Amino acid sequence: MSLAAGVTPSPLLAADPPCYARSVNAWICPEYVEKYAPELVDATVQHVYLTVTSVALGLVLAVALALFARNRPRMRSLLMGSTTIVYTIPSLAMFSLLAQATGLSPTTVIVGLGLYSLAILVRNVLAGLDAVPDEVIEAATGLGYGRLRLLTRVEAPLATPIVMAGLRVATVSTVAMVTLGTIVAYGGLGNMLANGIDDSFKAQVLTTSVLCVVLAVLLDLVLVAFTRLVTPWTRGVAT
Amino acid sequence: MDSTTLRRVRRVAATLACGVALVALPACGGDDPNPQSGDRAKGPVTVSGQNFTEMQILAELYGQMLEDEGYDVTQKLVDTRAVYMDQLSSNKVQVVPEYLAGIGDYLNTQANGPTAKPVTSNNVEQTLDAVNTLAESVGVTLLEPAAATDQNAYAVTKEFAEKNDLTTLSDLGAAKLPVKLAAAPDCKDRQDCAKGLREVYGIDITEVLPLGFGSREGKDAATGGEVQLVQVATTDGALEDDGLVLLEDDKGLQPAQNLIPAVNSQWLEDNPDVSTALNELSTALTTEDLAELNAKVDVDREKPADVAKEYLEDQGLLG
Repeated sequence: MSLAAGVTPSPLLAADPPCYARSVNAWICPEYVEKYAPELVDATVQHVYLTVTSVALGLVLAVALALFARNRPRMRSLLMGSTTIVYTIPSLAMFSLLAQATGLSPTTVIVGLGLYSLAILVRNVLAGLDAVPDEVIEAATGLGYGRLRLLTRVEAPLATPIVMAGLRVATVSTVAMVTLGTIVAYGGLGNMLANGIDDSFKAQVLTTSVLCVVLAVLLDLVLVAFTRLVTPWTRGVAT
Repeated sequence: MDSTTLRRVRRVAATLACGVALVALPACGGDDPNPQSGDRAKGPVTVSGQNFTEMQILAELYGQMLEDEGYDVTQKLVDTRAVYMDQLSSNKVQVVPEYLAGIGDYLNTQANGPTAKPVTSNNVEQTLDAVNTLAESVGVTLLEPAAATDQNAYAVTKEFAEKNDLTTLSDLGAAKLPVKLAAAPDCKDRQDCAKGLREVYGIDITEVLPLGFGSREGKDAATGGEVQLVQVATTDGALEDDGLVLLEDDKGLQPAQNLIPAVNSQWLEDNPDVSTALNELSTALTTEDLAELNAKVDVDREKPADVAKEYLEDQGLLG
């Protein structure tokens, strides 16, 4: 197993420790990536899962809340205010409190991060709905569109670019915040990152950090591609 | 390695499945009937603990012992004791590796307030009796303590020890040498740190540098001659590499920090064979063993799971 990684083929000489050993402690260490590949894959899979489910939960909640509040000015300001306040709760407190109810489980992290993402998503869903021109709504109503059909066929598509812009910000920030889930044992790459920092394990710190960044960029690209796909009318229109 | 990978894959699969079934399944954690284990299958157990090297190793040791008994083990390491203690009381977590005085002081301040009189001392038996009473009141049972103990300890360089003929802290006090100490920031007024070293051992500490507990900076300060005495852990496996030697706590200044399994009482009643398995491990585990295991993880960067497996096999504790 360890044969594959060795720089030095001579097992008799104890010299030349691998680049992840503390005596070398290199930042960039391919041997580390090779040795810890299974753990890195597991952590990345968990990280993607936690990010996607958290943001999905946030989006569902944000849409529901925004639809409820959009024509109620008092509810709007209450909603904006309360989601911002939620965002200021320190994650340590948030996860520790939620853990009382949901235990040491992915649910604790998903609920916590879903609530945090509301601060961004509620604003963008409201802004997206506000951006639908009144003339369009009047025209659709004139054509006999009911409330539901107006929402799904006219307002939702036109709000999509702004909602997706919010979703991108929420997703990228959630990728970073998932690491805090290590407090309750579900932090994706954050579990390994926190250990790396504690043990000044440079290869582990750098590798997991880079994976976080790569993950954020990839998820962002996926959302950009998805937005282009579902809003073909925005393409080629210079603004 | 293969079984470890498999176990991890299974754990991730369980995590994903749990997420999908999020609220529907109350007993998430992979308690599906395990056909390979046959009649040895005994249901799920969650091992928690704090997430640093020594506890990672202990959680693996406990977990692999329990797996060997036929339990389906899930490991959930968290940031602080406060996070898992409620879970342990309410049987969402069943087993946690603990430090005797560590859990004792925690439970004591939880039950009696932050200014409560300490119930822990250098005496293992007395401390165990006192802590057991506190633990039982929150539904937790402590099993047998290991000989292995992770206490605050004080080290000097090999040269300094040889030159001044030092093996114990009493020697250092008797030598009347003025020393600077590198230690945790709260060291100055603590009985188990500078205050106790002065009062109990008569060590002439001229200055305390707050460089952290067992930190790289503290050790470098000692080897570089900026300080003569440095605060480390008894289970620090890297001391020899760093050219440092421990001075013995010959007057018993440090409370008993023996490694000890803390188990949910209700669950233990239903699964009495657990105490046999974990006590077997406690009987074997010495401070030297633990220092060696720590070094394998901290210095050689081996994986805690591999290090634990190798140790259990060497000790003949599996199978």
